[in-house]
Amino acid sequence: MDYELLIGIFPQVVLDGILLGFMYALIALGYTMVYGVLEFINFAHSEIFIFGAFVGVEILLSLQSAGWLARLPWVVVLILVILAGMLASGLLAVTVERVAYRPLRAAPRLIPLISAIGVSFFLQDIIRLFESIWRNAFNLVYPTMDVMNIRFELTSTLDVSVRSLVVIVAALLMLWSLHVLVNRTKIGTAIRAVAEDQAAASLMGINVNRIISLTFLIGGAMGGAAGVLFGIQYSLINPYTGFIPGLKAFTAAVLGGIGNIPGAMLGGLVLGLLEAFAASYMSLLTGGAFGAEYKDIFAFSVLILILIFRPKGLLGEVVRGRA
Amino acid sequence: MTALFDAHGITKRFGGLVAINRVDYALDRGISSIIGPNGAGKTTLFNVFTGLYEPDAGEVTFRGRSLVGLRPDQITALGVCRTFQNIRLFANMTAIENVLVGMHARVRLGLWDALTHPPRFHTVERGLWQRGSELLERVGLRDKANEVARNLPYGDQRRLELARALGSEPALLLLDEPTAGMTQGEAGHLMGLLRRLVADLGLAILLIEHNMRVVMEVSDRVTVLDHGEKIAEGLPREVQGDARVIEAYLGRRSVSRSPRAAS
Amino acid sequence: MIHAMAAVAAVALSVALVDVFPRSILVFLAFQLSLLYVYVARIPPWLRTGLLGVALLVLMPLIGLRNGYYLEVATQVGIFAALALGLNIVVGLAGLLDLGYVAFFAVGAYSWAIVGSPHANLIFGGGFPLAPGWFYVFLFVGLAVAAIMGVLLGLPVLRLRGDYLAIVTLGFGEVIRVLANNLDKPINLTNGPKGITPIGRPPLPFGIPYSEGFYFLVLLIVVVVILVNRRLEDSHIGRAWEAMREDELAAQAMGVPLVRAKLLAFACGASFAGVMGVVFSAKQVFINPESFTFLESIGVLAMVILGGMGSIPGAVVGATVVTVLNLQVLKGFSLWLNELKNAGVTVLGYSLANLPTQLEPAKYERMVFGIILVLMMIFRPQGIFPARRRQRELAHTDKEPTVVVP
Repeated sequence: MDYELLIGIFPQVVLDGILLGFMYALIALGYTMVYGVLEFINFAHSEIFIFGAFVGVEILLSLQSAGWLARLPWVVVLILVILAGMLASGLLAVTVERVAYRPLRAAPRLIPLISAIGVSFFLQDIIRLFESIWRNAFNLVYPTMDVMNIRFELTSTLDVSVRSLVVIVAALLMLWSLHVLVNRTKIGTAIRAVAEDQAAASLMGINVNRIISLTFLIGGAMGGAAGVLFGIQYSLINPYTGFIPGLKAFTAAVLGGIGNIPGAMLGGLVLGLLEAFAASYMSLLTGGAFGAEYKDIFAFSVLILILIFRPKGLLGEVVRGRA
Repeated sequence: MTALFDAHGITKRFGGLVAINRVDYALDRGISSIIGPNGAGKTTLFNVFTGLYEPDAGEVTFRGRSLVGLRPDQITALGVCRTFQNIRLFANMTAIENVLVGMHARVRLGLWDALTHPPRFHTVERGLWQRGSELLERVGLRDKANEVARNLPYGDQRRLELARALGSEPALLLLDEPTAGMTQGEAGHLMGLLRRLVADLGLAILLIEHNMRVVMEVSDRVTVLDHGEKIAEGLPREVQGDARVIEAYLGRRSVSRSPRAAS
Repeated sequence: MIHAMAAVAAVALSVALVDVFPRSILVFLAFQLSLLYVYVARIPPWLRTGLLGVALLVLMPLIGLRNGYYLEVATQVGIFAALALGLNIVVGLAGLLDLGYVAFFAVGAYSWAIVGSPHANLIFGGGFPLAPGWFYVFLFVGLAVAAIMGVLLGLPVLRLRGDYLAIVTLGFGEVIRVLANNLDKPINLTNGPKGITPIGRPPLPFGIPYSEGFYFLVLLIVVVVILVNRRLEDSHIGRAWEAMREDELAAQAMGVPLVRAKLLAFACGASFAGVMGVVFSAKQVFINPESFTFLESIGVLAMVILGGMGSIPGAVVGATVVTVLNLQVLKGFSLWLNELKNAGVTVLGYSLANLPTQLEPAKYERMVFGIILVLMMIFRPQGIFPARRRQRELAHTDKEPTVVVP
């Protein structure tokens, strides 16, 4: 057992974990906010997330082919792309809610869930269809911006790229803005009210439907931002890459306490760290018997265990009181 | 002789709220009623008796066996069955099918029988349907046996719930507000039915009721709960005149025997 | 009378057409529709069974002789019909949304694949593959293994509420898939993404060729599965399941042991998938984890939902429609599009030859499933053939109550 190696890679693993964690946290917010107001798992959120990535890549590719990508300051490009991704995903989420979920609001719980699964599958192939026609390819690569690859050496065993820093900073900004929105604005209060008790909120004059749409908008936007950051971080995307991160982000949301916004953030970080550790250490510790491919099972096992043993999650659920 | 049903020291808390506080209850035969203002804890007590809730303290025994910690289906198998305050029928199944489900605990068939349908299976099934139709006859729903439950009028639905509960051949029947929503005439009929059940089947029946006339007419014994505590118990007439009972229902100021003279 | 003649005519005519146009997918669809018509038409039961029997036992194999692909489609339909009937018990009868159903299918398939091919020699050193006759034993082994797995999965998860149960079963399905993909070390159980081959095929009576043999085997199993479903439905177990689906609390209060009933549903549903898994691996000769993904689970779910939750004919029809859509219609559309492209056809001035090469309609199964699920939920959640409790009714006269139990 090479202890020096194990300890040596530790800081890098932590960094990887935090990076992954923030990504999961951003996606998890979409699940948790929607579950908070509707007690409904928006299964299609994984596609709303990857849709943002696709919007981002299209913009970047267009900029690149127009020759502007190299000319504009990279911060501007970044902000533009992230905002575009947020807007697109947010609007997609609102549309999906209107078309596929609202008609089923009164139905028994499994019905809208099945509809959500249907939407998820539909969106995957719609994106594929569009890209097949538009670019004759649906496995797309994010154009590199050289500045992203610059690495800073923090210690002898730890270095961090501009790319990772960008992801972390962007994620932090977004999480902080969401926190402000939800806790310090009137809209945020309305959302929290609807999450607590829909009937009472509506009696207080809150337009519940509008707030629900807004929740989807915000949650979707977070997912869209995560999509763009995902594309920047991992470069390669296709319409089906949303599924697994989406499932893991849902795990993170449940881990933190479904419906609980700080919970989603915490759950994301915890899951990201756990997964990074599992990926890096599992093969080292088991002598290669169980390698990094098992990290997906790891996340699913966490999901199963949480739901069985502590469905309330780490910080506790925040869901509507039942009538 | 041990009482058929004996609960003592029952306490149930929900968070900080004490829903039931050290209630004793025993019954042996006949029809008994539990009454009390809304929120007194009556349905909660039923839920404790039937295993939906586990009491925080206290003991519940039925025919000498402890019921605490048992699941509702196990309790039903032992001989205690209930109906619900808001009717909980199997809405899309027919009346006879509802009753057949009620008999589930008494069916002595296994998976293999269900898969292979041996002659024994057919005999047992025939017997079930026979008995089911007899139970429907008893409650007066024989001619509606094949109606889907949700299409039945309200009064019939209540009676169907009763028939379904009888399917499990209980020794003790717990009825939660069986006459709610009924006219006095219908309520009276139901009470007559209950008395016949006690006479014919040797059942013991425990009612939660709000309809005072019904309670006073049909009960052998009445127990009054208020704010989770037992405040009175005895023959209907005794309880009727009990000051604390009147106070619980009507409030302190109205406890006055002599009408004030108009000045 | 008219209906009877129309039914016979429809079947006869469509078969004749298939004989004349063996390559036309539309004509084969017409044949399938004629069978559907026979099923719903108001004709005496003996005629219905007779026609369907002749159609499935005689006509279909004959069609297969004209065009082997159709027999393949029919066999696939049968396999998925059994899967749909299994999921129907879990989702439709008991009301438990299982999103990882394909895992049971995979377990059955791998159980025979490992011992029916030389692969097991890697694990045990020698003595494999088992003689092909063992296949018939493994039909029951696959059944048992899948059923046990169903119980093991069910035990911890059955007290979860509906949507959480769904996600956990999804996770479980994914775990099985990743395991299948990665269990090539430390012991090589599944051979990972490379899959296992060649898998032994069973000896068939009368020297029937494999394509016909598997067709009849699948048909036989589907009939048995339907029979089992009907029997369960008409028993106290079926009633308990339905009651549980209607109102779990009340069912429990009436004496239905919930956990046991749910486990039973899971185990029964799983066992059908297990049996079909064994058949599938023998038929395909080669299996790998690609056949057992979330897509397949959702596909089977779409079949059950389309057909009607809790409905036996619904599950069969759903399986037929979805399989035909994917295997025939989408593929046919792809082929047709290619023909048009090669012929240089133009639409509104746009030459189809310029269509992007990546655009292959055959690959859009997900879109099909997605549309089916969403539209069905919004417009017809009870399915095409909603479950109707079979007519077991209380018959009575005023004088003597009698009970009629079919």
